[in-house]
Amino acid sequence: MSAVVATSLTQRFGSEMVLDAVDLAVDAGEHLAVLGENGAGKTTLLRILATAARPTSGTLEIFGLDALVERRKLRARIGFVAHAPGLYPALSAAENLAFFCTLQGADRGRVAEVLDLVGLAEFAGRPAGKLSRGAQQRLAIGRAVLHDPKLLVLDEPDASLDSGGAELLAHIMRGRTAVIATHDHALASRLCQRTVELRRGRVVGIPTRLRVVH
Amino acid sequence: MTFATIALAVARKDLMSEWRTRELVPALAQFVVLALVIANFGFQFDSRNAPAIAPGVLWMALVFAGLVAFGRAFAAEREQSSLDAMLLTPASPAAIFAGKAVAAGLLLVVCEAVLLPALALFFSVPLSLEVVSAVLLATVGMAVLGCLFAAMVARVRARELLLPLLTLPLWIPFIVVGGQAVQAAMGGGGGGASQATGLLIDLDILFVVLTSLTARFVLDD
Repeated sequence: MSAVVATSLTQRFGSEMVLDAVDLAVDAGEHLAVLGENGAGKTTLLRILATAARPTSGTLEIFGLDALVERRKLRARIGFVAHAPGLYPALSAAENLAFFCTLQGADRGRVAEVLDLVGLAEFAGRPAGKLSRGAQQRLAIGRAVLHDPKLLVLDEPDASLDSGGAELLAHIMRGRTAVIATHDHALASRLCQRTVELRRGRVVGIPTRLRVVH
Repeated sequence: MTFATIALAVARKDLMSEWRTRELVPALAQFVVLALVIANFGFQFDSRNAPAIAPGVLWMALVFAGLVAFGRAFAAEREQSSLDAMLLTPASPAAIFAGKAVAAGLLLVVCEAVLLPALALFFSVPLSLEVVSAVLLATVGMAVLGCLFAAMVARVRARELLLPLLTLPLWIPFIVVGGQAVQAAMGGGGGGASQATGLLIDLDILFVVLTSLTARFVLDD
């Protein structure tokens, strides 16, 4: 069963065509890597999949719901890691997560669990602005899984992560459907079963199956 | 996850951030005091015309301080890229907006706590409950409108220019009615203070309802 079905997703910014009739299907539990050079449209595609942006045209179904209509309902089931960590620098790591727990309607007990999961338990009281860039990225990844989402949309989540980053990503993606944008082909083949390549807003070639999904 | 829970969490987060960084309030307080000092030297006033001039100075200082305070409310979120993170939760955009407006309004109230005594000191005008209530009531309407437009322009580059262009025309009723209320309370003439206060409450209700209904469309594209 497909968790994500995108049909003819098109995004224009003025006269610029950023996504050109992109078709995409991701099975439940599958991990898909979106590859492509800078400006290929990866971020735009992922923002649409995360319900952060609306396409100019096309349809998008996530878990059988129309993602352009049922956005709020779907947001409880999607975790998104954007380019920028999007944290509150004056709040501590724990306060950042606690704030998003309230917004997600998640149990506050998740804060300690998630800090432990992303390896930031010892920095719980440190302001997010004083964390290293890698630690901020770990915190942003933690925020994305705070509400135990069924779909993860990860836009270059490996940026700034240290050597343990790939293990963390593999761990949080386990048991979930995931779409990940990356430049790193090695990471894509390690984490994902399938890749698609975007070039100038279009899917090029046939999606590559990297390994069999078990 | 009620509307109030979300709004309070957002307001608490903004106030806590401001308390820890002290980025906005000290600068705003300094700004309003400087505006009063300039007005003090710029206007020829005495004990007879001070109650007529002081309300104008008060609203000018308040309007410009408000533009900065409300502009920062969403510009900071945009700079930190944290607005999307908030909006990509199941929380109601109207509740998020309400929390932002409450926090920005409270920061302006702190600024008013410096402005009003300083005005009384520089212009030797009386500070009464009517003056304080008129300013606070106008702050409510100005906060919701200011935050709505700040959210709208946060995505564009020329936001510093666009925010006053969009906001000031809609603040005019608050400035006119609030000005009348303050002038009457300070003994500088004008209509009845209680009538103007009643009108300010009506304007607050109107704009709180209108902005609550439109916030969703402004925040969640």
